[in-house]
This record gives sequence, structure tokens and C-alpha cells, in this order.
Amino acid sequence: MRKKNKTDRSATYFIMTVPALVIFIIFFILPLIFTARYSFYNWTNYAKEITFSGLDNYKKLLSDRTLSKGIMNTLQYAIINVLLQSLIALPVSVALNSKLKGRNIFRAIYFTPAVLSTLVVGYLWKYLLSASDYGFVNQIIAGLGLEKVNFLGNGKTGLWSIILIEVWQWFGWAMVIYLGNLQSISDDLYEAAAMDGANAWDRFWHITIPGLAPAIKINLVTGMISGLKVFDIVLATTNGGPAHQTETILTLMFSKFSDGNYGYASAFGMVFLAVSMLLAVVLLGIFRQWERRLD
Amino acid sequence: MKRKKIVCSILLYFLLGILAILVLVPVYYLIVTTFKSGTEAALYPMALPTSFSLQSYKEAFVKMQYPRAFLNTLVITGVSVGGIIITASMCGYALNRREKTKWSKGVFLLILSGIMFPYQMSILGLYRLIRDLHLMNRLTAVILVDIAVNLPFAVFLFKSFVSTIPVELEEAARIDGAGVYKTFWMITFPLLKPTIATVAILNTLTIWNDFMGPLYFLQSREKDVILQEVYRNIGQFSTDWTSLFPMMVLGVLPLLIFYLAMQKMVIGGVMSGSVKG
Repeated sequence: MRKKNKTDRSATYFIMTVPALVIFIIFFILPLIFTARYSFYNWTNYAKEITFSGLDNYKKLLSDRTLSKGIMNTLQYAIINVLLQSLIALPVSVALNSKLKGRNIFRAIYFTPAVLSTLVVGYLWKYLLSASDYGFVNQIIAGLGLEKVNFLGNGKTGLWSIILIEVWQWFGWAMVIYLGNLQSISDDLYEAAAMDGANAWDRFWHITIPGLAPAIKINLVTGMISGLKVFDIVLATTNGGPAHQTETILTLMFSKFSDGNYGYASAFGMVFLAVSMLLAVVLLGIFRQWERRLD
Repeated sequence: MKRKKIVCSILLYFLLGILAILVLVPVYYLIVTTFKSGTEAALYPMALPTSFSLQSYKEAFVKMQYPRAFLNTLVITGVSVGGIIITASMCGYALNRREKTKWSKGVFLLILSGIMFPYQMSILGLYRLIRDLHLMNRLTAVILVDIAVNLPFAVFLFKSFVSTIPVELEEAARIDGAGVYKTFWMITFPLLKPTIATVAILNTLTIWNDFMGPLYFLQSREKDVILQEVYRNIGQFSTDWTSLFPMMVLGVLPLLIFYLAMQKMVIGGVMSGSVKG
């Protein structure tokens, strides 16, 4: 009787994992396998049947000039964006973690853009950065007696504009994550250091930064992953233009999809997988080095 | 020494203030422009509007078929978030309470892979799957995808939070003859409240603002979400550019209100979601 009871219990635990597991396998793992498979097929909207085409899609990829641009852009968006975010969020969170009057208001303000839709944020900044008469940022620039900049109208400034818009939207999120971590660093450490005569800079460098290691890790990893997924904002501001200069892997994939080149778009998906794996490996390597140094 | 301190804090407020202005000016611009004509907005971008007519909002409301789009977005977000909480809490619980079994370890590892890899890479396979399952243009498609994609992190959060709940609490119920399943829902689940709140907030923000999922899977207009309505209407050429601003505002308004009303909870949710992660 007792034994039966025990197997019953184990079975129940097992069953409780099943709903999540089934949904995850069907809608996450299976599509990945499908995509890998279709990247070797000639699957289009207009061909009557889907035929095996070997490496054709990948050969086409190699000769596709927009691809390397898209990968480079995606990596730039992800890496520069994440670094700039932390560069602002880190000092801000340290300042707001002190007993500053009004710190809650500042926190609330800085976090606000993070609840706005990225698509709408993109449209808003498209108007703000416009080179037409009504472009607010250019009105300021002209007011300072400088020459107007067509921010979204060329590849280089377009790329940087998109990165800065993303930083504007997300540094508050990074700040909140740093704040959460800062609360867990014990005051005793600071007091002891102050007794030893350490100045503010020393304390920041030798207590705050190592103490923030977990949050830095989270911010870099999650920021990097969401940076790879940059899509809405590009669609709203430049739509990948001019001349594919600001394209990302996902916007390229979407345009192949819209053209009905499904097999080819699948190959883009595989490239995306490879790029994110590569980045994950590099990041983990960096963290391992850093942890070793901290020890 | 004291004087130095005062100078320091003035400087600090100055810098924080500039940053706050940089954050707020675009948001202010977004809102005031909805009440202005094109010329007025171009000439006096930062001025308060001369008249407060809601006419442009009414037009945007009709053009976007707002009630319908709002309801679709609400259903997708609500059902997805509920689904994530139910499935992920059960799974995280079982994985924690049977931590040492091979099954648990394997399942956890598999699900964790979902945190590291963006699902967007396999969107074509997903597209195919949704089509083959005859779920295309159904809210169910987006809901299932949203659940699958956001499950992993939720499972992770629940699993680590369950480990802080002592097993002894459950044993009393067990002695009274309650099974594992009943014990979980009666005893453990109510104790998971902080994590439930965190998971609900994080996923509400993510799913409500998700544009790509609906873009691929909800192509018929009567099924589309608020952001698709923004995309559809702004994409069209319009000389009257300020008339597009009410649509943008209507696009962000629901979450903005949610945030203003529960600002502490939202920030707290993001904070605790990361501390455990």
C-alpha cells in the first residue's frame, strides 16, 4: 500500500511537468527542426511543390550581399546598445541607490520608455529625427547654427540613430536590474572600506563593481539576446534602408518571407541560430575569465 | 568638506535632471502633438496646444477599429499570461521537488535552452506548423506561441522560488490525505504569490508589446492587434502627419496607464525577476 502510494506521487510530479513540456516541445523545439529541414528545400509561395534542393539556399546566402551587412548590423546593434545602456544605467543606479531625495520619481521617469511599444517608439523618433521642417531635433541643431543632419536617411547615422533610440528606451530597464542587485550589497563592506581610508572611487571600483557582477551578467546576456532580435524599431524607422544599409537578420528574414521565399528565409533562420550560439559562447568565455580574476 | 558635499549633490541633481528631461521630452512631444495641426506642431513643437479637441482621437479610434483590436490584444495577453503561470508554476514546482531525478534534470536543461535562444530563428518552421495545425489567423496561434516562448524563464523563476518554501508545510496536507496535485494548488501555489506577480508583470509587458508574432500569424484584419493597426495606418501615406499621433498614443496608452497605476509593482516585478535570474 505504501509503495503504491509512493509511485502514485512520483507519477503526479511527472504529470505536472507535462503541459509545459508538451507546449515547449511542439511550439519551440519542433519549429526549430522544421526550419532546419526547410532550409534545404525549395519552398516558395509560387512553386507548386516543395522539393529538396540541397545546399542551394545556403549557396544563395553566400552570394547575398545584404547578408553580411545584416549580420554585422545586428551584432553592432546588440553589442554597442548593451554597452551604452550599462554605461548610463550603472552610475545612475548607484546615484539612485543613495538616500537621495526624489529618487523614486527619477526611477519612475527613467523606466517609463520601457513600457512603450518599440514600434511606436520607432515612429515617434522617426518624426523627431526627420530632416523635414517639422523635425524637432534638427530644429534644435539649426537653432544652434549647425547644418541639419538627415539622421535616418543614410546608413551610418541611421545605424547609430537606431542604437541611440534603443538606449533611450531601455537604459531604465537595465537601471532597475542594477538597483535590485545594489540592495543586496551589504553596507558593512562600505563602512569597513571607509574605515580603511578608501575614497569613493576606490569603493565604487572595489566593492560596487564586483558586487554588481550578477546584474552585469544578466544585463549583458539578456540585452545581447534582445539586441539580436532587433526588428520593430528598424521596421518603424528606416525599414532597413537606405539601400539595405540598416538591415538586420530579422528584417531580412521578414522581407524574404514577405516575398514568399520560405525556404530561403529558413536558411536565414539557421544563420541567426549560428550567430546567437557564437555570441553565447563568447559571452560565457568572457564571464569565466572575469570570475577567475575576481577569485 | 560640507561645502564640497553640497556642490556635489547640486551637480548630481543637475545631471539626473538633464537625463530626466531627455527621457520626458519625446513622451511630452508624443502627447501634445496629438492636439496640434501640422503647421502648429512644426512651428511650436514644445508649446502647449492652443486647443484641446478630442476630434483627432475619435477619428483615430474609428480608423484603428480600436475596440476590436484592443479586445484581441487583451485576450492574447490575458490568456497567455494565465497559461504561462499555470503551466510554469506546476512544472517548476515538480522539477524542484524531484530535483535529483534524471527526468527533472533533463527537462530543466531542455527548457533552459529556450532562454538562451531567440525563437525568431525558427519562425518559418513555426509558420508552417501553425498552418498545418489550421491555426492561422486564430488568436490561439499567437497565444500558444507566446506561452511556449515565455515559459522557460517562468519555469526557471518558479523553480528557484519553490526551493525557498519548506517541504514541511506540504507534509501536513499530505498526512491529511491530500495528493501531490491537490497539495500544490491548496498549499504551495498561494505561497508563490510574489513570483506569480513577477511573472505576470514581465509577461504582460512582453506579450502586449509583441509585434512580430501577430505580424506572422494574424494576417486577417479582424484578428489583428493594436500594434498591427498602428502599423497598417501609419504605413499609409498621409499629408496630415499630426493625425497619426493619436494612433501612436492609443497604441501605447493601455500599458502606460497600467504602469502609472502600478508603477511600484511594475518596477518591483522587473527587479525581482532579475535578482533570482
